[in-house]
Amino acid sequence: MKTHFLFPNKCKKIGWILFVPSLLLGSILFISGIDFGKYFKMKVFAFYSDQFLSESKFFTVIENGVLDEILIVLIMVGAILISFSKTKNEDEFISKIRYESLVWATYLNFILMIIATLVIYGFEYFNVLLANVFAMLLFFIIRFHFMIYKLNKSSNDEE
Amino acid sequence: MKNNLKVLRAIKNISQEDLAKEIEVSRQTINAMEKGKYAPSTILALKLARFFEKTVNEIFTLEETD
Repeated sequence: MKTHFLFPNKCKKIGWILFVPSLLLGSILFISGIDFGKYFKMKVFAFYSDQFLSESKFFTVIENGVLDEILIVLIMVGAILISFSKTKNEDEFISKIRYESLVWATYLNFILMIIATLVIYGFEYFNVLLANVFAMLLFFIIRFHFMIYKLNKSSNDEE
Repeated sequence: MKNNLKVLRAIKNISQEDLAKEIEVSRQTINAMEKGKYAPSTILALKLARFFEKTVNEIFTLEETD
């Protein structure tokens, strides 16, 4: 079947390899409260920088620990590759499940976001926004693979 | 929409797996169609019709609720 906007099947594996270790490492470091800024310090280009107690600048070069940036990018690229690589047997029915899972994940994501917006205040809301960077794709990945798993199971029971 | 894929498949004595390969879809798709959980695209319906040497109307029929 012709599919638009999907990566080849082998990208899925690459996605898992990028996604799982970066998410685990990121979560562990985040929970342990380590200061990400200390690691991999280097000069980086900043389109906009607004650092604590210094004035905001456009188009500047700043010193920054890039561990958090690297992890965030790896998690996002990984999640995109897992989500939007073809399955081994991608066909119109799988596409339908993909579409429904995407709608489902979007609803869940924004329902949780609305609730969080209404009940979480102060600096913690920043963490909600951070989690939100990955949440939608994570919901999609879980739901999509769960539906495929359920289908495999029910069609294996059949014959 | 109803279909008699299961019957046709039994007559031809072909497994879901082999039928899936024959018309280039996943086995889950055949399974879901037989259970009435999935209405195939026109292309897939025509491919099934070609395989079973029937017309699409002979395989798929509309229901009251459609």
